[in-house]
Amino acid sequence: MSAVRQAEASVLTRPLLTHELGSLAKPNWRVKAVAGSPIEDRDLEDARAWGERLDVEDHQELLELLRRAPLDRAGKDEVKRWSSRYGVRFLETVGLDVVYDGEQQRSEMYQWAVAHAEGFEWRGIVRAFDNKYYSKAAVTGPIGLREPYHDEEFAFVRDVARAELKVPITGAYTIADWSFDERYFTDTSFGAGTRAETRRAARRAFILDVARDLIRPNLDALISLGAGWLQIDEPGGSTDPEELDLFAESFNESVRGLDAVFSTHLCFSDYDLFFPGIEAMSQCRQFAVGFANYDSRDLGTGASDRPGYRVLPKFRDLPYGPVLGVGVLDIHTDFVEPPELVRDRVLHSVQVFDDPTRIHVIPDCGLRTRSWDVAFAKLRNLVAGVELAKRDLGLG
Amino acid sequence: MNRPAPPAAYLHGIYPRSEAVVAATRDLERGRVTSERVDEAYRADREAFLRAQRDAGLDFLSDGLLRWQDLFRPLVEGSKGMEARVLVRWFDNNSFYRAPELGPEGGTVLGEVPPWVLEDGIPEPQVASLPSPYLFSRVTLGGGDPDDVMLGLARDVLAPAAAMLAQSGHRLVHLEEPWIPYAGIDDGSWPALERAVATVREAASGAAVVMHTYYGDAAPHADRLRRLPVDAIGIDFVETPLDALPTPWESGLVAGCLDGRSSVLEDPGEVTAFVRRAADRLEPTALYVSSGSELELAGPEMAGRKLEVLGEVARQLREEAA
Repeated sequence: MSAVRQAEASVLTRPLLTHELGSLAKPNWRVKAVAGSPIEDRDLEDARAWGERLDVEDHQELLELLRRAPLDRAGKDEVKRWSSRYGVRFLETVGLDVVYDGEQQRSEMYQWAVAHAEGFEWRGIVRAFDNKYYSKAAVTGPIGLREPYHDEEFAFVRDVARAELKVPITGAYTIADWSFDERYFTDTSFGAGTRAETRRAARRAFILDVARDLIRPNLDALISLGAGWLQIDEPGGSTDPEELDLFAESFNESVRGLDAVFSTHLCFSDYDLFFPGIEAMSQCRQFAVGFANYDSRDLGTGASDRPGYRVLPKFRDLPYGPVLGVGVLDIHTDFVEPPELVRDRVLHSVQVFDDPTRIHVIPDCGLRTRSWDVAFAKLRNLVAGVELAKRDLGLG
Repeated sequence: MNRPAPPAAYLHGIYPRSEAVVAATRDLERGRVTSERVDEAYRADREAFLRAQRDAGLDFLSDGLLRWQDLFRPLVEGSKGMEARVLVRWFDNNSFYRAPELGPEGGTVLGEVPPWVLEDGIPEPQVASLPSPYLFSRVTLGGGDPDDVMLGLARDVLAPAAAMLAQSGHRLVHLEEPWIPYAGIDDGSWPALERAVATVREAASGAAVVMHTYYGDAAPHADRLRRLPVDAIGIDFVETPLDALPTPWESGLVAGCLDGRSSVLEDPGEVTAFVRRAADRLEPTALYVSSGSELELAGPEMAGRKLEVLGEVARQLREEAA
């Protein structure tokens, strides 16, 4: 049986499946140990307390390791693996059906990918919003995969996890969009009428080179290791409404000829813009989309009660019938959604789709901007809300 | 040829924070430093930015809006009846703002802006940046008819803010307007925009007021833009073909001639030649040179180098005008 059919049979069509979306905050003990900063008593206590709470086996070994800080390279790598183990247990303990490790071994979704690619140079830090920033690179040469950059991580998580896995991978469009371009379009002769056309052709070449020469070989390597469900994260997917055809083309180019379940994650966008562009993404089995950020906190399952979810019918009507991962947790606030609010968001989604097997339940995005306490409470309530919804729907 | 002389150079909008401020603000959120430490980092950043502007010979000096979390936040936080919560993409960028949101009453009044908006110690003449009334109304959630919202925001928030800024020594008030070239404007909204802009200009007594368009081709709207009651209209020539603009321009011109979203460095000689060509063709009543879009998204290193290019362009244009 192919990886696609295995994954479909085991998880993809399970009604109201719950899963995480990507990153969790990195614990202070992990950040400090890797940065070479002193480990304080409160960091050790944090590692101990969460180790007990999550029932992380042998976590005393982590405490002993942290007490030996500052650590050499091997020690730092070992701390990252512990953080990864904690991330897996965190997501399993809250009760999610499908997990990963909160991207604890990676630096950041863009930075990690670019750091393992050929053809990029770093150009400093740029703000995303408020006091959140990211390191931005410029493409300066031929793009290539220096080395598969999720293989070790996947092999480790596969051995640790008890729940089923989905591997998050930063997508080609987002990597291109979040980079400066010093290779494909360098024209500074402003005010010319033909500039827009030239720039668009250059953008297409850049994006498709990332898809073909960086993302696809990395996906291929993961599939060879047994990964069955690969989530291509595209938070930049709708950045430019004029380029949604390029976004869809980049997804298709990334997965061309590969055998696995591919899904994609979209967030913080005007989702109307994705239509009809994503009608071309017929190999995408699931769209994981953030909605709660735009929604009311009042209860109710009617369309007027759920303003953040008004675009659902467009996802429902996609010709290839993908599953929709419905974001029910606003990841930019410490507000802990009550189970009843999660329930109502889920019930509304099921009403719109009239098919619970096409609805999965997720946070809007990765929870890395929240503390572990807040993330834990939010995800616990997500699971509890899904249970309430299942009860209402008679799904046992 | 009726070339205005001399041109005035300045930077508008939010300037990128240094790595020291990035580290300090990150550490503050993680509880690792005090707010006093962050204040120190901001002060050092502002001093460095002022020094760079003076070294480049810019004509109007900006504080860089270094503390602004987005273009609207201090105004929202200083106003009664408005809050900032929902995170929304800032046009076609990997950058986000929190959308201003009017309460159920629909109205809002500017109370006190945070003190650092009016920080003294910046040598005059200063330039201030504010959202244009049209942009402000289109990003604002709630409040009913968007043109009514625009007029209310212009009267109750932007005009008081412009008055405060003019009184505190700002000689140029720069209104940021990416919405019109990016998303368009209904014909029926132009009269309300004219009234809103006039309200802000009247309040900014003693300061010139410019409205600057970017993130899109302004040419389809240029005929109406140049008739707005402001001292100059800004055009982002990264996006707008020069030959598509009507002549004579019949207003002042802010020539946006640096790409604020690219790390490719412009050649000062080429930019100078372009600005000269634009001035010759459009014959503006006043000429300013600046970046197309604000430089925040270029990052600190590239923004610093583009600032130097702008200074060199201004120097070459001044030499020609002398």
